[in-house]
Amino acid sequence: MNLYDIIFYLFAAITIVSAFIVVNAKNIVYAAFSLLFTFFGVSGLYVLLGADFIAIVQVMVYIGGILVLLLFGVMLTHKITSVDIKAGSVQTIPAVIIIGIFAALLIGLMYSTHWAVNPAEIPVTTTKSLGKTLVTEYVLIFELLGILLLVAMIGAATIARRDGDK
Amino acid sequence: MDFSSLYDSLALIKPEIIISVTLVLIVVLDLIYDKNKKLVPYLALLGLIVSGIYILSDIANEGFAFKMSATSNKFGLLALDSFGSYFKLLIILTSVLIVFFAKHSVEIENTGKRQGEFYTLLFGMILGMMFMVSASDLIMIYVSMELLSFSSYVLAGFIKLRDRNSEASLKYIIFGGVASGVMLFGISLIYGLTGTTNLYSINAALQSGNINLIVLGFSLLLIVAGIGYKISAVPFHFWTPDVYEGAPISITAFLSVASKAAGFAILIRFIKTAFVTNVDGSGNWLLVPVFDWKTLISVFAILTMTLGNFAALWQDNLKRMLAYSSIAHAGYLLLGVVVFSQIGIEAILIYFAIYMLMNLGSFYIVMLIADKTGSEDIHDYSGLGYVTPFLGVSFAVFLVSLTGLPPTAGFIGKLYLFIALIDAKMTTLAVIAVLNSVVSLYYYIRVLKHMFLTKPNGEVKEIKLSTANVVYVIVLLIPVLVLGIYFSPLVNFAESCLAFLSF
Repeated sequence: MNLYDIIFYLFAAITIVSAFIVVNAKNIVYAAFSLLFTFFGVSGLYVLLGADFIAIVQVMVYIGGILVLLLFGVMLTHKITSVDIKAGSVQTIPAVIIIGIFAALLIGLMYSTHWAVNPAEIPVTTTKSLGKTLVTEYVLIFELLGILLLVAMIGAATIARRDGDK
Repeated sequence: MDFSSLYDSLALIKPEIIISVTLVLIVVLDLIYDKNKKLVPYLALLGLIVSGIYILSDIANEGFAFKMSATSNKFGLLALDSFGSYFKLLIILTSVLIVFFAKHSVEIENTGKRQGEFYTLLFGMILGMMFMVSASDLIMIYVSMELLSFSSYVLAGFIKLRDRNSEASLKYIIFGGVASGVMLFGISLIYGLTGTTNLYSINAALQSGNINLIVLGFSLLLIVAGIGYKISAVPFHFWTPDVYEGAPISITAFLSVASKAAGFAILIRFIKTAFVTNVDGSGNWLLVPVFDWKTLISVFAILTMTLGNFAALWQDNLKRMLAYSSIAHAGYLLLGVVVFSQIGIEAILIYFAIYMLMNLGSFYIVMLIADKTGSEDIHDYSGLGYVTPFLGVSFAVFLVSLTGLPPTAGFIGKLYLFIALIDAKMTTLAVIAVLNSVVSLYYYIRVLKHMFLTKPNGEVKEIKLSTANVVYVIVLLIPVLVLGIYFSPLVNFAESCLAFLSF
């Protein structure tokens, strides 16, 4: 086991453990803070994969933006820390069995497969080539995502607005 | 970057560009006229009609748009062909009808200033569907599907009067999120196996062999789950009844026709492009022997038909009943996929055109009655057939057509599906489908029994219809009757729209 593997398992462990806490925490503030570690772990995994741009975006958008907003929402909501959020689990045993089978299947598949691999070359920086691909080959998808965001924004505003103010 | 190829690509997607421009114009118009929303539907109609004209005039234009320059192959993100154009026309036609539908609907009228947003989101759905039907790259499929889903999540909960409206939206988004996550996982496995996301390159990779069949099968199951969610095939149908019941009726009608059409188009294109090596002289598809599509789709079809029809038997809410009926119809349509031949696809194209007319017609009448009586319950339909004979009779025609009895168009749709099945020597499936149609007769006729034969408790108020309402019903009613007798134009048109872009 070399250094790379150790770092990988470290980040993976951070991600999984904190994600587990997010789902199971009874207190919503604890859940929100654990989410911070989940995002951090994921961005670490991106760095290990050589996806520097995505790692930075992960930190900036998810940790810097979404999570801070989430925490603001939690903190500003009156007495939310004392509210019992519904974190109870129903039908734990069937769920565990199904997830166990699913996980075993996935792990089995992962080890038994010949994946299509390209020769490894860790790029110095991906930002330039990523930007270039986005406006040449994948320009349609880039534009479509723009419309997707517009629709999502309008949709969010529609949902948030109370129906009384016509 | 070669700019001439970009211009070529843009020329191929004119209808989609017009839809996007209309979407933006609706937002602008919505901002300029803050108080008056009367113009918005007309702008929407204009955009749809112009886009429809471009689809019709370019129906013979074929080609790949947005080609991959780096990989030096000629395949692109989109494959424009007449199969896709047929579905685009169907989506545009449905959208035009839905715009009128929403204009006549009291619940949309009551949202007042929010109507601008309604049409913006509707166009988001339309755009997503139009890209979906011609997508030939897994990333493109995913992104267009998300655009469709995002807009429909919001629209499902657009009316916020009752709890079940929000319930519809929430259920839809949770199930939808899981389905698209599952599908994305399948896509990532396929990318890991073949090293490409383009369907044409995946086909080449599959034919070259060296693919782990177990992993491939697993990833395909995941992708089929994502698509099966869109077409509400059993066992991915859980959301359908609740969402269809809680959403505004115009959106329910739109989801049950257009969204389903787009889902079927992408399912067929996915199988045809990635797994078919050759089409033989009589139009049968020769599949790469890597995955047992026939068994999988047959099982889905049988489950979907049977569950849809049997669950519909117990429904008292008309919207819920029609939701289960639309699940059952998805089952019939899957039968057209399972024969894997050009004749099966032709049957699907014919069935969808007819299904659009009769399903929109039924939902429209349910909407008219719900707007006046405030109820979708079957017991409140008692005696309505005598008070408003026009509604009663036209509802009868639509329901008989949904059952698939002559002389209505529904019979022709089912006939072509069964011919395709018999042609492929799948008699068992055909028998199951016929038995299912018999079951469906019960719950369709039960509505008519209530309208004409059940004695109402108390006075039944007459439902007053405006001229526009009557015209709308007649516009849907006449084709349903005429296509039951004189169907060759539709069949010929469907036959001319069977071209898939090949290598």
